[in-house]
Amino acid sequence: MDFTLEEVAAELKPFQEEVRAWLAEAMKGSDHLRWSANWSTREEDEEYQFRRKLGATLGAKGWLFPTLSPEYGGAGLTPDHATVLEAELSAYGLALDHVYYTLARIVVPCILYHGTEEQKRELIPPMVRGENVVWQVLTEPQSGSDVANVKTTAIRQGDHYVVNGQKIMVGHHLPPDFLWALVCNDPSRPRHENLGWLFIPANTPGITIQHLPMLMGIKNAVFFDDVRVPAKYLVGGENNGWEVSHTHMELEHGGGGSVTGDPAIERLLTYCQETKRAGKPLMADPHIREVLAEALIEAHAVRLMNQRNYWHRINRKPHPYGGAQLRYYQRTVRLRNAQRVQQVLGYDAMVPDLTVNEFADFEYLMRGGPGMLHGGGTLDTDRLIVARRMGLGRATKEQAAVTI
Amino acid sequence: MDFSYSDEQVMLQKTIAGFMEREVKPDRVTRLYQHQDGYDAGMYRTAAQSGWLGMLLPEQYGGGGATVMDCAVAFEEFGRGPLPAPVFSAGVLTPQLVLAGGSDEQKRQLLPAMCKGEVMAALAVSDSGMGWGPEMVEMDLTDTGDGYVLNGVKSFVQDGHPANLYVVAARSPRGVDLLLVERDRPGVSVRQYGELLASVAEVRFENVRVPQSALLSGGWDTIEAALDQTLPILCAFKVGACQQIFDITVDYTRERVAFGQPIGRFQRVQDHVVELADHMDGARWITYETIWKLDTGQASKGFVHEAKAAASEGYYQVVNYAHKVWAGPGTALDHPLMAHHIASRVLYQYLGDPAYHKRRMMDALYPTAG
Repeated sequence: MDFTLEEVAAELKPFQEEVRAWLAEAMKGSDHLRWSANWSTREEDEEYQFRRKLGATLGAKGWLFPTLSPEYGGAGLTPDHATVLEAELSAYGLALDHVYYTLARIVVPCILYHGTEEQKRELIPPMVRGENVVWQVLTEPQSGSDVANVKTTAIRQGDHYVVNGQKIMVGHHLPPDFLWALVCNDPSRPRHENLGWLFIPANTPGITIQHLPMLMGIKNAVFFDDVRVPAKYLVGGENNGWEVSHTHMELEHGGGGSVTGDPAIERLLTYCQETKRAGKPLMADPHIREVLAEALIEAHAVRLMNQRNYWHRINRKPHPYGGAQLRYYQRTVRLRNAQRVQQVLGYDAMVPDLTVNEFADFEYLMRGGPGMLHGGGTLDTDRLIVARRMGLGRATKEQAAVTI
Repeated sequence: MDFSYSDEQVMLQKTIAGFMEREVKPDRVTRLYQHQDGYDAGMYRTAAQSGWLGMLLPEQYGGGGATVMDCAVAFEEFGRGPLPAPVFSAGVLTPQLVLAGGSDEQKRQLLPAMCKGEVMAALAVSDSGMGWGPEMVEMDLTDTGDGYVLNGVKSFVQDGHPANLYVVAARSPRGVDLLLVERDRPGVSVRQYGELLASVAEVRFENVRVPQSALLSGGWDTIEAALDQTLPILCAFKVGACQQIFDITVDYTRERVAFGQPIGRFQRVQDHVVELADHMDGARWITYETIWKLDTGQASKGFVHEAKAAASEGYYQVVNYAHKVWAGPGTALDHPLMAHHIASRVLYQYLGDPAYHKRRMMDALYPTAG
């Protein structure tokens, strides 16, 4: 076994140095944003612009999708190179998936697997270059976890699909360039056999986006009113959307893994070292040390499950139940961390003004713990997937989809 | 990065898995824990003959010169039983104590015999039931000039019954001293508890005289040095135990039918297995990263304590979740879960409980002034 991230093999050293130098240059003047970008989605324009700019410059080098073939805009690097890149970004509290608000990390593999050559050449490169913001739009008022229960229809009319319906609780505070939408191609067909995935330009007439203020920030409702989408943007074939969903869901449900840590606990530890209460550092308080020890152990387990899934993915042997396990565990840990932040900071943890402390956005952590329990399916769907992958009560085990 | 065993480790794993399957039948393990003393001499002999004792020791002392990771692979399989023999205390921990604190003479005399299974040593530290650490050592030690006299009771000695040698921690003006005390010395008496404490014994020392040559050097530091190398191996034992419980529990969710369907189709039953696996995998990867750090010479003090806390808590909780799935049948004394139930409770205390190790982890990572 080998858990190496920081220390890299000799042949990767020049690349590591190149990445370090490049990042140091790219991060100039944005140091105050470094930690926020991994886990905050505040509606901050400065942070947003920073992430988009970084995404575009990374994308121009092919580094947003380092292992992808150059013919689609990737850098054609080895998984080891990608690991170096992720680890170096992690030192800035960043991860490729979160560099800016985009779900391209999920959409690109889906199109790569299920798209036609023509679709790959048209749709993938701009995403890989970091030019487009893509929202995934799956959830509808009647279908959250029950994701196949899609009422938004996309009916073929000549060279177009005509889309009608409503998506909800999607996106963020600024408008998207494209929508990656799960639609129903034929309401008369049985469940799971009536779905399709459409890549929809967000400026197509008939699309209305409405902000929804929520605990974890701005989400949106998207309305489709006779929206005409060129038929060539249906990915994976008509009524075959459930197949594409397997790739999408595996990635969204943690199967991608990651080699980057969650900086939240690290920042909390720094806060406790540097903050005094009644003349003593918080870190000297036995009760706080106990809270932190628990948080550290759980953060460590999350980090290793993430790294394990990453390793399984890049080696093309997906962990049987690891994706949904990570997602379930990680989100229960975040919920506990939201309380731990309050146990350590008290009222300070609830102050919405970021200038109150310079360590981290603890108030967002408090809202995000409970506020993000449901994204991409509830804790219950996670457990359901784990159970099927383990084969609980079943003669056969459901297999994880390959995602690279 | 590599989250798999090497080819050699897979072979070692298969060899020991074969032994466990042939020799360590679940019902046999349970009977041993239930009616006897938690110890099977034949299994221990096999382990010695197979070269599975003293794996960490240098070859010059009859050891295997193995990495901590190799040793952990073996112990993960032993944990599946759990193997009812002191393979950890007598085969790993006490040899490492002698290696860390022994004179050349003590090492030459004891280590090869430990690898052959002739000398079975147990570490006797705890005077009372709660607590771990140098301050908990109260037993009286008198220096007579030409040797030492020991008086006191070590209330809970893991594998104290099969042992023929004790490494005894006692208090002297110097602090904590470690002494090698043969079981057959006059004044040594052993009492077994049975049941939950089947693998634990009380060892009494009444005016026990030992020569000067019985002293190991280094006192508590020697214990710390040995634990830093060996605790992760005990953690791997617990991880293997968790894996075995997971495997049999998953099978049970398929076989057991209630309300007309396998119980694994009930989401509340599924939830127990999901939580079980979270504890298992958390303990597993924290343990293995710690071991990798040890083998590659990286700072690992905080990790070792973290791993012990996570693996002890993990094993305990895995057993609890398994009980929720197995319900009534899982509480029968001849059920495969029962030996794990007992081991998870006893090993929770052994060499410091999770609360102790979490404190030590924080002390290693974030020392407080003074």
